[in-house]
Amino acid sequence: MTAGDGPVGEDALPDRSSAEPVGRAPAVRPFLVTAGRVAGTGTGPPMPLETQVVATAPGIEKLDRLTFERRDIVALCRQPQSLAEVAARLRLHLNVVRVLAQDLESTGDLAVYVPRPEAAHDLSVLRRVIDGLRAIPDSRETTP
Amino acid sequence: MTPTTTAARDRDPQAPDSRPPLPVKLVIAGGFGVGKTTTVGSISEISPLTTEAAITEVAAGVDDLTHTPRKTTTTVAMDFGCITIDPTLKLYLFGTPGQERFGFMWDDIVEGAIGGLVIVDTRRLDDCYAAVDYFEHKRIPFVVAANAFDGRIEHDLTEVRWALDIADQVPLITFDARERGSVRDALLSVLELALRRAES
Repeated sequence: MTAGDGPVGEDALPDRSSAEPVGRAPAVRPFLVTAGRVAGTGTGPPMPLETQVVATAPGIEKLDRLTFERRDIVALCRQPQSLAEVAARLRLHLNVVRVLAQDLESTGDLAVYVPRPEAAHDLSVLRRVIDGLRAIPDSRETTP
Repeated sequence: MTPTTTAARDRDPQAPDSRPPLPVKLVIAGGFGVGKTTTVGSISEISPLTTEAAITEVAAGVDDLTHTPRKTTTTVAMDFGCITIDPTLKLYLFGTPGQERFGFMWDDIVEGAIGGLVIVDTRRLDDCYAAVDYFEHKRIPFVVAANAFDGRIEHDLTEVRWALDIADQVPLITFDARERGSVRDALLSVLELALRRAES
């Protein structure tokens, strides 16, 4: 994931099924990527790891005009992803992804959905998670 | 309960099917090598991913004569996975980094979590003190789960509870990190505790 990488298209993205688990993110020039900015120093706490990001239609449209990490992020986020997944799949530092996601949101290329912290105490959410977990069978080999 | 978007609100071009699910999370904590990644891998729909998270280290107080905790921010590897509950709700499982003799602050990982599962290896009980202290301090619902290595628990649970000095209201269970159904039930015990806490 360096500036010298060739054009990055859909096929160059890490494969969901086979490329996992990825190793540690390389300690590449995170401050260069974000022009020296760090996450969590602005207003309010940093965006949670599970914050969902998804490419917007305009973002997909101008994918070829985006560069490097920004393009990788928008391309990966054709499907909604968490910040943590983006960081892991693109081997970027989490705080770099936080900064770039906010950049891409401000340019309208990415929609960022910050979860409300109250969700963790919401009775209906908790009950839905419980029901969903209960439905998980004992083993993965399930051919009902 | 839909996620809020901070800026794309008024020009949302998203088709309904690309609207992301509401993410919620549980934290899987415990000492190094206690089975956190195994636990995540047993139930996650994706193979555990690894990313780097920033944590704040607070040096252990023993050598500290100033009584002011020295904090430094460190980047550590963190494993995680997820479970799609339904198209509108997704559960993330974040493993905390292992630790030795430091008390770690996992705020970056834990903020907004439903609850925590503190995994203990009954042969090395002291490895989980930091996690127990952390969840107690943050008042986050947590369950202590003894991982049955090779299907065996070294001590009975009464001894474990005594040794860890955990309150009676903290559930203490045994589970097998390699078994999907066992991990599911362990996570359910955290959810049920969080639900009882939210109801009261």
